[in-house]
Amino acid sequence: MTVATHTATGKYQWAASVTKLTALFFLLLIAFITDIAFGSVSIPLRAVLDIIISGKAGNEAWIYIVEEIRIPKAITAVIVGCGLPVSGLQMQTLFRNPLASPSILGVTAGAGLGVALVMLSAGSITTIYAIKELGISGSWLLLLAASLGAAFIMFLIIAISARIRDNVIMLVVGVMIGNITLSVISIWQYFSAPEQVKDYLLWTFGSLGGVSGSQLYLLAAVVAAGLLISFASSKMLDTLLLGEHYASTMGLTVNRTRLLIIGSTSLLAGSITAFCGPIGFIGVAVPHLARSLFNTSDHRMLIPACCLMGTSLMLLCDIIAQLPGSNSVLPINIITALVGSPVVIWIIMSRNNLKNSF
Amino acid sequence: MPGSEEVRRPAFDNKIHSPLSEERQRAIMKNNRHLLNCRKQFFLPRITGLRLRSIYSIGILFLWMTSCKQAAKPSSHSASGKPIAAKTRLLYSKGFTIEYFENYKLVKIVNSFSNKTDTLQYVLVQRGTPAPKNYPGAQVIQIPVQKLMVTSSMHIALAEFAGAADVITGLAESKYITSPVVRKNLATGKVAEVGNGSAMNYELIISMKPDLLMTMGSPDAPIARYQPLTGAGIPVMMNAEWMETDPMGRSEWVKLMAALLNKEEVVNPKFEAMEREYNRIKDLAAKVTNKPEVVVGMPFKGTWYVPDADSYLTQFLRDAGASYHWSDVKSTGSLAFNFETVAPVALKADFWINMSNARSKEEIAANDQRYTQFNPYQKGTLYNNNKRLNDIGANDYWESGAVHPSLILADLVKIFHPELLPGHQLFYYQQLQ
Repeated sequence: MTVATHTATGKYQWAASVTKLTALFFLLLIAFITDIAFGSVSIPLRAVLDIIISGKAGNEAWIYIVEEIRIPKAITAVIVGCGLPVSGLQMQTLFRNPLASPSILGVTAGAGLGVALVMLSAGSITTIYAIKELGISGSWLLLLAASLGAAFIMFLIIAISARIRDNVIMLVVGVMIGNITLSVISIWQYFSAPEQVKDYLLWTFGSLGGVSGSQLYLLAAVVAAGLLISFASSKMLDTLLLGEHYASTMGLTVNRTRLLIIGSTSLLAGSITAFCGPIGFIGVAVPHLARSLFNTSDHRMLIPACCLMGTSLMLLCDIIAQLPGSNSVLPINIITALVGSPVVIWIIMSRNNLKNSF
Repeated sequence: MPGSEEVRRPAFDNKIHSPLSEERQRAIMKNNRHLLNCRKQFFLPRITGLRLRSIYSIGILFLWMTSCKQAAKPSSHSASGKPIAAKTRLLYSKGFTIEYFENYKLVKIVNSFSNKTDTLQYVLVQRGTPAPKNYPGAQVIQIPVQKLMVTSSMHIALAEFAGAADVITGLAESKYITSPVVRKNLATGKVAEVGNGSAMNYELIISMKPDLLMTMGSPDAPIARYQPLTGAGIPVMMNAEWMETDPMGRSEWVKLMAALLNKEEVVNPKFEAMEREYNRIKDLAAKVTNKPEVVVGMPFKGTWYVPDADSYLTQFLRDAGASYHWSDVKSTGSLAFNFETVAPVALKADFWINMSNARSKEEIAANDQRYTQFNPYQKGTLYNNNKRLNDIGANDYWESGAVHPSLILADLVKIFHPELLPGHQLFYYQQLQ
């Protein structure tokens, strides 16, 4: 119950937290540079820095690799590292459940549904050609389908949430809708040729490397909008932690708050899933890390903390996924869970203060 | 397990002459499982998105005409007057053997899908004659096969090559077909769709009583899976043509189809003509001194699958006089690289081929703007194998192309060294504009 009780210790905590945030920011910078510096092709650090600063280097291929491959990938990692943890944090607060995640309402599954529609419904390949006639093809088509899928589920959830007052019921309904969506996808998979299923499987592994150019700008803009909404609603989130009844007696319009939170979560999780595939784990784990490390449930502190920690963790995972020195790449989803889980277990067990937050 | 290889691969009958030394055969056997995995891995990304494959009769006509020029070889009817057709012998394939006996043929197909490699045996008995009793465990097939069910467009291509697409009565997947005969039969109901994707309708198949069901062997589909069919007396043949490491080996599976249909006399000269054509083009390309650098495939979500040393596509590139960056790297059939590993090669390459389902430069750029900086994109030397994509989205490259490697090789040589084949028109490939 640390919420809204800023005493003298509160102020001290605030200062300490700002120091921690600054430290995290430098950690993020180091992780960012490291992510760009290491990869399959070995490029001297000097050359990498030259390319970042002046855009010049002796080797054409190096410029291409750094500017067109590594920097967009690192920026995508930053965007994902901000968006997913913040949406996870919001879900955990809204449902007052430590296991809630961005995918809990089925928005991720909705994006998957859109992708499955494009990849697996090969019988309607002519339909896809028809869409192509509209001038949408390749990755944009996939993106459009994923966004529409996520938006469809999102509106469904919002429509239901407007009728249901109880958050626990809302949580169960969200999980069930996710299940329905996943089984629709499974039916498609069952009736699809192995090579199509493989395509879809590759998508579900998640990837940071497929976003570049104008797609990157679009993703950044949508996620920034989602983050702004989250930050603006941080006071309401604090109040929600006291329980819905108490929050409403404090003058909070619970329903409107809920719509706002679900909306921003859908924007964040939906857009990131559409662009990068369903990236698991960090959405659940990073909020716990942030709460443990900062020992607070003040969302004005937790949201930036989630962004910084999530970003550093994503960059670290990407560095590992690239397996520096080797020619292959591991799916990012595998690394986030493999590397992240032990870290979370360790921090939560050593600090043992998770319960305080709910 | 010393000696177990002998069991797996019984000594070759003297009727079959393999150019491969015993030692190499053995090495191949050892590698089989590994090869398999790879072929699978390689194969899948290849047909990504498009799920192409099919047949076309023009190619067949073309070859038919060439083969007609080579006068029919003396047919070898068996002395006893039994309806044993001409024999066939295998030169390239590593996946199966055929032995000829008085009134039956013995086919052994390497089955590397279970935990240990062994061979599946099939006794092809002339209709109306008694089946031999000395092959316990072998499946018995009455030949000539009159009702055939297939699960892959490659199988359709095999039947088309033998000029017998009409024997096909059932298909597992009707979506990706080029063969006009089969499409027509499908429309008139002569051919039934007996499955969808990985799900087969066993009851329908059993009720239709085919002489044989031909499936693609794969690690997740062991022969035991087809027990309901084999138990009902329907033989199931597990083809593994897609694990062959060179194009001629893949296409040589037409000889298995010939044996099943008693059409050796038709198929043998046709295959020989095709083989001569392949070698003629290969010899032409062998003389070139400048070997352009080729980059293959289309990256997806940051991963770029490229063929390795054992891939049949790499063999095509070698035979077509091209230089390929990973032609000596052994792996599991394909190499899963990250974008940044392939990018330096792609930036400087002379040609870029097989870009998934892209049909124009625009589509390539739409997939990822970064591809436009590759040299082949700038120079316009982008060639994709989807010229013969039909109205239902089936690509003939995967159907008739599988049994006409000489045509694919001709296309590639025409692309890399146009001066060598001035008269050739691209058949499967098209230049993206």
